[in-house]
Amino acid sequence: MKLKKVLALVLALAMVLALAACGGDDKKPDGDQPSNGSQTGEPSTPSEPSEPSGSGADVSSLNVGVFYYNYSDVYISTVRAELDKQLDSLGVKYTDYDGNTTQSTQMDQVNTAITNGANLLIVNIVENSSPDAAQNVINAAKEKDIPVIFFNRDFDKSAINSYEKCAFVGTDPAEAGHMQGKMIADYLLANYEATDLNGDGAISYVMFKGQEGNVEAEYRTQFSVEDANTQLTGAGKKELTYYAGDSAATKYLVDPNGAWSSAAATNYMDTVLAEYSEGNNNMVELVICNNDDMAMGAISSLQTAGYNNGSGKTIPVFGVDAVQNAKDAIAAGSMTGTVAQDAVGMASSIVKLLNNFVADGNLMSNTDGMVVDGDSAKIRVPYAAYLG
Amino acid sequence: MEQPALLEMRHISKEFPGVKALDDVSLTVRPGTVHALMGENGAGKSTLMKCLFGIYHKDGGEIVLDGKPVDFRSSKEALENGVAMVHQELNQALTRSVQDNLWLGRYPTVAGGLMVSEKIMSRRTQEIFRELEVTVDPKAIMSTMPVSQRQMVEIAKAVSYDSKIIVFDEPTSSLTETEVEHLFRIINMLRDRGCGIIYISHKMEEILRISDDVTIMRDGQWVATRPAAELTMDEIIRLMVGRELTSRFPPKSNKQGDVILEVQGMSGRYTRLKEASFQLRKGEILGIAGLDGSGRTEVLENLFGVMTREGGSIKLHGAQIENRTPREAIKNGFALLTEERRATGIFGIRNIRENTVISNLKSYLMGGICLSDKKMKEDTDWSIQAMRIKTPSQSTEIRSLSGGNQQKVIIGRWLLTKPEILLLDEPTRGIDVGAKYEIYQLIINLANEGKGIIMVSSEMPELLGVCDRILVMSGGRLAGEVNAAETSQEEILTLAAKYV
Amino acid sequence: MSKESKDLAAKAQWDSKRVLSLVVNNALMIIMIIAAIAIAIVNPNFVSASSIVNIISQTAAYLPAALGIAGCIVLTGTDLSAGRAVGLTACISASLLQVAGSASKMWPNIGTLPIPVVILIAMAIGAVIGAFNGFFVGKFKLHPFIVTLGTQLILYTILLLYVKMGNNGGMAISNLDESYNSFVKGSILPKIAGQTIPNYVIFAILLTALMWFIWNKTTFGKNMFALGSNEEAARVSGVNVLMTTIMVFSLAGAMYGFTGFIEGARIGSNTANTGLNYELDAIAACVIGGVSFVGGIGKISGIVIGVLMLRLIFIGLTMANINQDLQYLIKGGIILFACALDMRKYLVKK
Repeated sequence: MKLKKVLALVLALAMVLALAACGGDDKKPDGDQPSNGSQTGEPSTPSEPSEPSGSGADVSSLNVGVFYYNYSDVYISTVRAELDKQLDSLGVKYTDYDGNTTQSTQMDQVNTAITNGANLLIVNIVENSSPDAAQNVINAAKEKDIPVIFFNRDFDKSAINSYEKCAFVGTDPAEAGHMQGKMIADYLLANYEATDLNGDGAISYVMFKGQEGNVEAEYRTQFSVEDANTQLTGAGKKELTYYAGDSAATKYLVDPNGAWSSAAATNYMDTVLAEYSEGNNNMVELVICNNDDMAMGAISSLQTAGYNNGSGKTIPVFGVDAVQNAKDAIAAGSMTGTVAQDAVGMASSIVKLLNNFVADGNLMSNTDGMVVDGDSAKIRVPYAAYLG
Repeated sequence: MEQPALLEMRHISKEFPGVKALDDVSLTVRPGTVHALMGENGAGKSTLMKCLFGIYHKDGGEIVLDGKPVDFRSSKEALENGVAMVHQELNQALTRSVQDNLWLGRYPTVAGGLMVSEKIMSRRTQEIFRELEVTVDPKAIMSTMPVSQRQMVEIAKAVSYDSKIIVFDEPTSSLTETEVEHLFRIINMLRDRGCGIIYISHKMEEILRISDDVTIMRDGQWVATRPAAELTMDEIIRLMVGRELTSRFPPKSNKQGDVILEVQGMSGRYTRLKEASFQLRKGEILGIAGLDGSGRTEVLENLFGVMTREGGSIKLHGAQIENRTPREAIKNGFALLTEERRATGIFGIRNIRENTVISNLKSYLMGGICLSDKKMKEDTDWSIQAMRIKTPSQSTEIRSLSGGNQQKVIIGRWLLTKPEILLLDEPTRGIDVGAKYEIYQLIINLANEGKGIIMVSSEMPELLGVCDRILVMSGGRLAGEVNAAETSQEEILTLAAKYV
Repeated sequence: MSKESKDLAAKAQWDSKRVLSLVVNNALMIIMIIAAIAIAIVNPNFVSASSIVNIISQTAAYLPAALGIAGCIVLTGTDLSAGRAVGLTACISASLLQVAGSASKMWPNIGTLPIPVVILIAMAIGAVIGAFNGFFVGKFKLHPFIVTLGTQLILYTILLLYVKMGNNGGMAISNLDESYNSFVKGSILPKIAGQTIPNYVIFAILLTALMWFIWNKTTFGKNMFALGSNEEAARVSGVNVLMTTIMVFSLAGAMYGFTGFIEGARIGSNTANTGLNYELDAIAACVIGGVSFVGGIGKISGIVIGVLMLRLIFIGLTMANINQDLQYLIKGGIILFACALDMRKYLVKK
């Protein structure tokens, strides 16, 4: 009996400690703000003011709901950290929500936030293969005359155009693919002989797709290869060949969980490398990934097989996002290139629109220095090639 | 010569929310004797034993074992201190082997307790089985064995603890006559060793034969403790029930009419029933006797569509019927009271009303959609009254009723479907004497109302006392048919052994 | 019919029955072999040495978690927290074994810890998570489905918070120390048929042997089966039900911890996403391998076959270049088929 009680106590204590330890860390300047708690207006880190508020209007009357599609997405985490920081230094009251990759969860959160008095929504929509989900959010906001700033996950402009107090900050989903394609072609044209391991004059590649039906994933998968091919054939080289040949059901391998995860890339890459190797004279010569996390997974597998260790043979691996460990890998020579999604630029653009609204009630009143679509209130934060 | 007591339970009391389960009960067991504990269901026998065994914690009183006061907080402690128990409900790990069950909770280990030694386990199992003359494969998986063999394993397990006190809680309910004899040999052996045996049973013949002392309980209280030699069956019943039961069986008043059911050459596809043919008349009570596993239950379940028939025909009022599924059988006016009430009869955690109306829901539909609470309530009230069910209310969970009352609820359930033929499988199993009488009366009344009744029982006096005719099954076949008024237990037993 | 011909007929019938029951009882194995042959015909590389090593390696990576969860299933339970526990321990293992001095090191003040220490930490964290589950299951009689559903969510928060701690700020945890990589992915075995066999295969074999011993040869293992088969019987026989339950879940947790340690290096990049849905694969593997939700039934060999089967589906489809979408259909079909076969054994025909 006594043992049981002691055990119960120990367990309870362990949980509390674990939570306390995690919570405690949030106070550190480098760390992040607590996830779901409401923030009060005091700037927590006066040492790092990032976005001057600029307008004299009253930001303290704002009650902002920020809806993320998934907390566990590394890139989104970076945006969140940056946005939290900027909102804090502005003194804006805000609440973060995790949609946990479920559109219905996010919609419930939006409705709850609105009833809870939110008067500005910043939404990273979960479901973006059709504009319907975004339209639902817009309709809910319209009813209360609340402005909405969408970001990151793009959808059809029809929804944005249906409400004037609504804007989108994101990237051009095709751009990352185009940029990746150019980067790949540039690299190959400079290192063609070295890359073409079997000397057959063509580069065989494997493509890791993050998820089916996602606009970014679709465009990256398509344009990276298309653009590279155009550039390669223009320079008199052969087109890229899919490692499994033209008969393959799809010319990409997709994460079974749709989670853009490194684990899926590792398992696939292990399987691919079991069949395709230099010994068989059919080694995969190029790895293209929709995001950096999958690139890291593929690299892990390549390293097990004796490649990409910084010295010796390196199979070029390209990703998207330029998250920190990808940059480290590029610096270490185990990865070749990535496309930088500008998390800071994304957050700054969102905050700029927020300030516009505070100043004169119009989100798009001041878009100096920003790339705006001609036919809708969509702001494109540019990508940048990152080669280290 | 007064021996010091081996076990003394003094002034034990135990209260459950709202019920005083034990009220100042005392029990003294002398070494080398069998002490029978009797009482109707709900009298507190099992509760008393569970207090001894550490499953319940008593509220008051003291227990002295071998001169030392003890208070076990768990079964483990009780076992370690020389108190073992054969539980009424077989609590066994069915997916495991015989010897795994036998040594559960005290596996012999080697290598400093790190490793269980199958060798030692197997050797000791064989030793015990040899000593007790049990012929069971120690490596056999429990679920593949018949209930009676599993029961013997349970008995062997209790003996293997080398306990000073062994409690047998209804050990013979699933044993055949030979196995009962076997058990008695084991008990006598333990008695000769100086163990104290506490023996709980409803079967009075057994009690009078095996026990030295008898303690009788009623409503959670001690009633009497007498030497078995001084007691008669009637005396025991009087003490248990607290009033005179002039007869164990009500007078038979049913009149037989025309033949309503005719079964020809019925066989089971997966079961051992072969070529059974018989008739049933209106208002008749037809008994089915036989040893365990002789195919008694199979007759009922093949008839009711629970089991798949291989051949034969069933005629109801001269018209051919199929009864391929229970649904079809119910539609044809059959009702089956199953053998294992707890497993296949009651919905334990649901209330009496739901248990009453479940087979008859269609008739409470209003407009085909909504169930009428009022009608269900009326019918349940009728059932409670007609069956004389003792319950605080309709919304009482059925599992809190005594076995007899549960059985009455189920009979009531079937009567609501207006059956013409009632199939009763062991209708009085696990029911105390007083309640049995009421069930018998109920059966005779139903026959009087013109229902045809087929009743399976392993208690022969009951068949002789209630039925008109008795079919005797043996080895899956119909061994014979006797007139209940003219036959004897010996004749039935001879028939029952015909195809064994 | 003469007696002899009757006997003959009976014998023949018995034979065909026996063949049928043999086929049915081994249906999964037979299907697996047929599928393997079919894939090998489409793509002969499937049975090449390197491919077989890959199949074995991936099986080894997923095996420990399945071995752990199987114990919970034997107790008629389940464990939904496995995936998140793997994720958390993977992130913790990785964060403690990053290259010293690198800018992105999560805990710059903690040097690269010795590997055995990290293994112990990962397994201890897993075991505590498991003990927590087991305590709620055993003490409050909650269904493990509910308990572990709760724990899984709690763990996700801890995981999300953890990856933002220190220097990390929500980034993937990588840049792992060479000692860690080589301990997990390197090979101490000589090359077999020109193929390196990564160390984690050896670990999986050792763990499988250990689990077999625990399940079959120890008091704890036998108590676990008895408890899964009939809790009340175990209790009245003097088995400490609460403690056994806690230990089963705890052992499972330690296995997740070990899986986390392996995955940390095998995948090389650890995020809050790591371990996602691992429990579903592990449960599926157990069920396919005949660990029954009825309780008290299961064999280590079955679990190995179950994990192998799932990896064969994944790898086979990739190598046969079959549309990836079909993977779910085949997985789902196999699970239903396996369970139906399994339950057949317990259905008594009347």
